[in-house]
Amino acid sequence: MAKRIAIVEDDPDQRANYRDAITKKGYDVASYASREEALNGIERQMPDLAILDIILGDEVDGGFQLCRDLLVRAPTLPVIFLTERIGEIDKISGLRLGAWDYLPKPISLDYLAERISSLLRINEVRNAASAKDSSTARRIGDLTLDQEALLVSWKNQPINLSGTEFRMLAKLVRVPGHAVSYETLMNATMQSLVTNNTINTHMRNIRKKFEKIDPDFSCIKSEYGYGYRWSAQ
Amino acid sequence: MKIGNRIRGPGLGTKLLLWGLVLLIVPWISYRQLVGMERLLIQGQSQAQLLTAEGISTLFNGREDLFNDLPIRIQEYESLYARPLPNPIRIDGKDSDWGQVADKALKFGVDADKHLVDGGFELLLGERAGWLYAFMRIRDDAVVFRNPEYLRLDNSDDVRVNYIQADGEDGRIVLTFAAPGVTTAYHVDPDWKFAVGMPENQVQGHMEPTPDGMNVEFRMPLSMLGSRKFFGLSFADVDDPEARTVRAVTQTLPSAGKTSFNLVVLRSPEVLNIIQGLGYSGARILVIDAQNRVRAETGSFTISEEHEPDTTTWSAAAHRWYDFIRPIVHRLVMWQRWDDDEITEDSEAAINKVIESALRGNPIALRCRVNEQEIIMAAHPIVSRDTVLGGVVVEQNIADILAFQRAALEQVILLSVLSLLVVFIVLIAFAGRLAWRIRELRREATAAIDARGRLRANALSSAMNSGDEIGDLARSVSGMLSKLQQHNQFLENMPRTLRHEINNPLNTLSTSLQNLAEENPAAANSKYLESAKRGVMRIGAIVQNLADAANLEESLEAEELEIIDIERLVENYVANCKVVHRDCQFAFRGAGHPVYARVSDYRIEQLLDKIIDNAIDFHRPNSPIKVQLDQLKDVLRITVANRGPTLPPAAEETLFDSMVSHRGAEVQNRLHFGLGLYVVRVIAEHHGGSVRALNLPDGSGVVVIVQLPLAHPAPTPVRVNGEAANVGK
Repeated sequence: MAKRIAIVEDDPDQRANYRDAITKKGYDVASYASREEALNGIERQMPDLAILDIILGDEVDGGFQLCRDLLVRAPTLPVIFLTERIGEIDKISGLRLGAWDYLPKPISLDYLAERISSLLRINEVRNAASAKDSSTARRIGDLTLDQEALLVSWKNQPINLSGTEFRMLAKLVRVPGHAVSYETLMNATMQSLVTNNTINTHMRNIRKKFEKIDPDFSCIKSEYGYGYRWSAQ
Repeated sequence: MKIGNRIRGPGLGTKLLLWGLVLLIVPWISYRQLVGMERLLIQGQSQAQLLTAEGISTLFNGREDLFNDLPIRIQEYESLYARPLPNPIRIDGKDSDWGQVADKALKFGVDADKHLVDGGFELLLGERAGWLYAFMRIRDDAVVFRNPEYLRLDNSDDVRVNYIQADGEDGRIVLTFAAPGVTTAYHVDPDWKFAVGMPENQVQGHMEPTPDGMNVEFRMPLSMLGSRKFFGLSFADVDDPEARTVRAVTQTLPSAGKTSFNLVVLRSPEVLNIIQGLGYSGARILVIDAQNRVRAETGSFTISEEHEPDTTTWSAAAHRWYDFIRPIVHRLVMWQRWDDDEITEDSEAAINKVIESALRGNPIALRCRVNEQEIIMAAHPIVSRDTVLGGVVVEQNIADILAFQRAALEQVILLSVLSLLVVFIVLIAFAGRLAWRIRELRREATAAIDARGRLRANALSSAMNSGDEIGDLARSVSGMLSKLQQHNQFLENMPRTLRHEINNPLNTLSTSLQNLAEENPAAANSKYLESAKRGVMRIGAIVQNLADAANLEESLEAEELEIIDIERLVENYVANCKVVHRDCQFAFRGAGHPVYARVSDYRIEQLLDKIIDNAIDFHRPNSPIKVQLDQLKDVLRITVANRGPTLPPAAEETLFDSMVSHRGAEVQNRLHFGLGLYVVRVIAEHHGGSVRALNLPDGSGVVVIVQLPLAHPAPTPVRVNGEAANVGK
């Protein structure tokens, strides 16, 4: 059975574009123009993944509200924000609400499809992993990285990273001790418009999440003018 | 600002003060009025004195009898003028108490050279308080005193007085002296030989020997002389003490053939009686006859009360000050010399002129100065029928007027100075306050916009509540500022709004292009689709850059600063540059030791990115880009130098402003909005530093210099995120 994807976007052209592209990838797509409409649709059938815009018509924070409602009904539902609101504050609030990822417009449809499939797979893996122990996990020192389930833990304490952050971290630790360039990290974000600044912001957020559970964390090093490096503590 | 300074004129306070000087017209006018008043008063005084003189003279008009108690044919007599004596006289044979009169001696018995012969004498005659005083300086080669044993009075040196008594009979008195000292007077018989009756006690005298002979001083009551005052004086000289015969008699009488008496001319008591009651303080009234002799005198022009002599040093100082300031003030105000032409300095000449004029029949008034005091003299003739009998002179001290004038002037000056002072102080205070308020307003208005033209405040606080024009100005400036701020906010929000608004259609465009390629595989390889995608990316990048730059300051505020070693950061950065930009050469020279600063590390990285990008764009191929770090006194300095085209002269000022690009046509390989160096400046300034760009001294290229304040490293080891070693490749 095809996975069901819900798209909430008030702009009809973009909505249609998403729908067409994702439908072509073999998903069952339900697209809505407003929060009301989306809630009604979801009442009828719960999707497997939701893509939300934040500004929905006249509701400036319509997407956030919708995300809250959805997660109340299905706490494990992967939610992706796809928005033109790329301010840091919006991004943080979106992720805090429990969204898995936060993608700024303009978006590459290929990347979007890739993300969808990866998130769906991860969700499956996570659901399965709750039953049996994870075997796909990789250990680098105190870091445990389960690429399949998108799960990260540091010194056995789980760290909640967004999809983008997880991919960047995964790229960083692929060969520990080697510097990873900005460019590589940009590709890992799977976004179309990325600057060094965006990378720095992501890296800082990742660092902060580690430091929260381990104030002495210092494995992520800056390679000024080049990129970042993971070095064992 | 510079232009403003250049055309700056005098301040508000100065201008107000200058206008305040107009107030000087008040004392100026006062002084002129005062001088006019003084003239008027003096003139009035002159007139009043003339009137007084005229009034007094009318009392005597036609009263020949008062003046002609003397024989009318006065030329027939050798008159002896008894002068008024200023002082009480002591009968002691010394003339020291005679005052000025002592010089007015008449000589009798002289030779051809006007020298006294033996037995000749000089005579002073004066009168005071009803007495007639005589002083004789007698030359006598041999003084023979009277021997009291002889009864005859003419066998020794003696002084003989002959006169007509009040009863009309002839009177003869001889003054004899047996020794130096008091003389004895006797009435004698017509032959001057024997005394008649007892010595005359009313005639008191004193004889004093001198090297030349002797002085004899005596007095007799005027009442003895009667009204006609015929009077004669002679000295009988006896030289031989044995023979005791009269050798010679020197007399005041004229030569033989005339009458045997002199005429003693005195002030007329009747005239004196008339004017006695007319005298008043500070005024002297003189009545003179046609022969220019004073017939009566009353009063004195010396101020009797003498103005309470300046006892306090304060008033003395004030008067000295006044005497000093008056000529200056006068000269300043009246444009004339202070010396008054109308004052005759020589009082003698003045009184002579006055009397002469009066005796010619012309009334006259004059001002003159006597003993530092100013007096007015007025004279009026006394006439009888067509002849001038004499004149009345009224002399009045005008010290009163001058004192009044001085007091008034002092008041005027004092008041002027005080009021000017008060007005000046008020003006200064007012002007100062005004200037202060305007300066405050200017300061605040200037501070509202910083050096980069950014708005720092949207309203003013000073003078907003005052109701005057400055308040209006403040309110209108404040209103302007708030409108400007609204506009600025609109402009600042523009990039963000723009990004919001553009990103949606851009996303539509982008996704549509992707779908198009998907749907139509033939089109996927079309170069047009590719260029359309590039265009979309480019618009996205532009909007992104603009929004980033616009948000830069805001996001910097959220940045956490930590103390890190800049030396390692820059060294690491340059090492990585060599990896990233393989076609460029980099040279790094560090300080050689850790250089700490409180920074946000990846903002410094961003700053270096922009500078290095700039340097790479402009550097001459195969020339190294030199990066250097120095530690100065309390700042660190990062310099990035590259060889290549120099900056245009005007660029140094604006290079770091937003949206300013001085790139020529030769470098157009990237997206440039003139934001790179703007970002550098904002980051440097956010860290409390500065940035500037200069041409290399030899003109071979450009150097960008960033200065950041140093920080003291934390005592605990500083966590440094970057490590220079083993860059992974």
